Amino acid sequence: MELINSIFELLFGSDPELRQIIAVTLRMSFFSTLVSSIIGIPAGVLLGANSFRGKNFLTRLVNTLLGLPPVVAGLLVLLLLSRSGPLGTFRLLYTVQAMVIAQVLLITPFITAMTANLVGVNATTINETLVGVGIRGAKRLKYFLLDFRVPFISIILAGFGRSIAEVGAVQMVGGNVQYKTRVMTTAIMMQTNMGRFDFAIALGITLLLISFLINSIVNRIQKVAADD
Amino acid sequence: MIEVKDILVKAKNRLILDVPSLRFEEGKRYGIIGENGSGKTTLLRVLMGTVQPSQGSIEGLNLDHNVGYLPQSPYAFSFSVLRNIMMTLENVPSRNDLALDALDKVGLGSLTNARGNTLSGGERQRLGLARLLAVPKTVLLLDEPTSATDIRGTDIVEGLLQEWFEETRGLLLFTTHSPAQALRMADEVVFMEDGKIVESGNPQNLLNNPQEPETQAFLSHWVF
Repeated sequence: MELINSIFELLFGSDPELRQIIAVTLRMSFFSTLVSSIIGIPAGVLLGANSFRGKNFLTRLVNTLLGLPPVVAGLLVLLLLSRSGPLGTFRLLYTVQAMVIAQVLLITPFITAMTANLVGVNATTINETLVGVGIRGAKRLKYFLLDFRVPFISIILAGFGRSIAEVGAVQMVGGNVQYKTRVMTTAIMMQTNMGRFDFAIALGITLLLISFLINSIVNRIQKVAADD
Repeated sequence: MIEVKDILVKAKNRLILDVPSLRFEEGKRYGIIGENGSGKTTLLRVLMGTVQPSQGSIEGLNLDHNVGYLPQSPYAFSFSVLRNIMMTLENVPSRNDLALDALDKVGLGSLTNARGNTLSGGERQRLGLARLLAVPKTVLLLDEPTSATDIRGTDIVEGLLQEWFEETRGLLLFTTHSPAQALRMADEVVFMEDGKIVESGNPQNLLNNPQEPETQAFLSHWVF
């Protein structure tokens, strides 16, 4: 009962820190998914829809990056953005932007690989059909994007799911700074370390409820896209 | 005139296509017959540039102008059937009317709002043909255009191709498993086996009186 009270308090209460944590979580997840999708979907279509020299190597590289541990991605970004690092002058470490960069590193290969696999199954048939009606080269991209618009939404959603649930990389480059870079996952980890398990569970359930809400909205969008 | 010169296609050291010389003239209909794996589809793919030969050349075929190709399993995009046709009519003022007319011709007029990916194999073939015929063409390359259609669908497709040929006097090149279809639709038949041209000529002569043992063996399975 206490747990349920905590969840309701978290969701509908007026705790400014929690609202800020939710806002940072959504901002970070939204922008990292957006950037990863802008890069990953066209890259996946190019990889899946075309035959070219080096395709197998690139596919293996993307698939390898799928297994990139979040802490390694976090470490890379940390080294890049630290004061003595090559991008240290931008002073991005322990900011939401740094967290977005680390997330993009993790999610882009995921979106690229999923897109390439999806598109690759029918690529020969689609290419032949398009060539047959005189649609060649870069123009083909438009029809791949249109045809797979509904599954692409699922891929983007899966990317968002990975982003919102990630903890290792964002902890390293964000630093879990209160009122600045603290997100749901890092807050859960901190509460757990402090022994406040009920609060940590309440935060976890809140995170799941937010994910459920976003999924429901996206499902509606998918239905509209499918009917279009 | 399309001229195929010394074309060789190999895949993993296996010879897929070996055509030293072949000519296709405008104002004629060519039917390419042969068993599965005889090289019919590869020949069309080489003509369309989707398969690169290891040697040889194609002359007289400008793919940027009025050439249409229907693959054996044409793809139907997940948007509406009408939009599947309109995609070939970009920047054409009366594209909606032209697309509707093309769909009516292939007997898919009642399916304009259906999703392309819900169509059957035969409907996809007719949709593919409608996509080609919506835009004027002088060369049509069709890979087994009726392999998935029912009797009515086959009749519609053959009728439309006949109509197209009479109107344009263009070049029609189609592959088929059916000697009967070749007899109905072609002015010249080419028989292929193991990637090679075995025999070619007038359909009546070739199909009723084959000279080569390979052609005789193939036609011995022909049941009326």
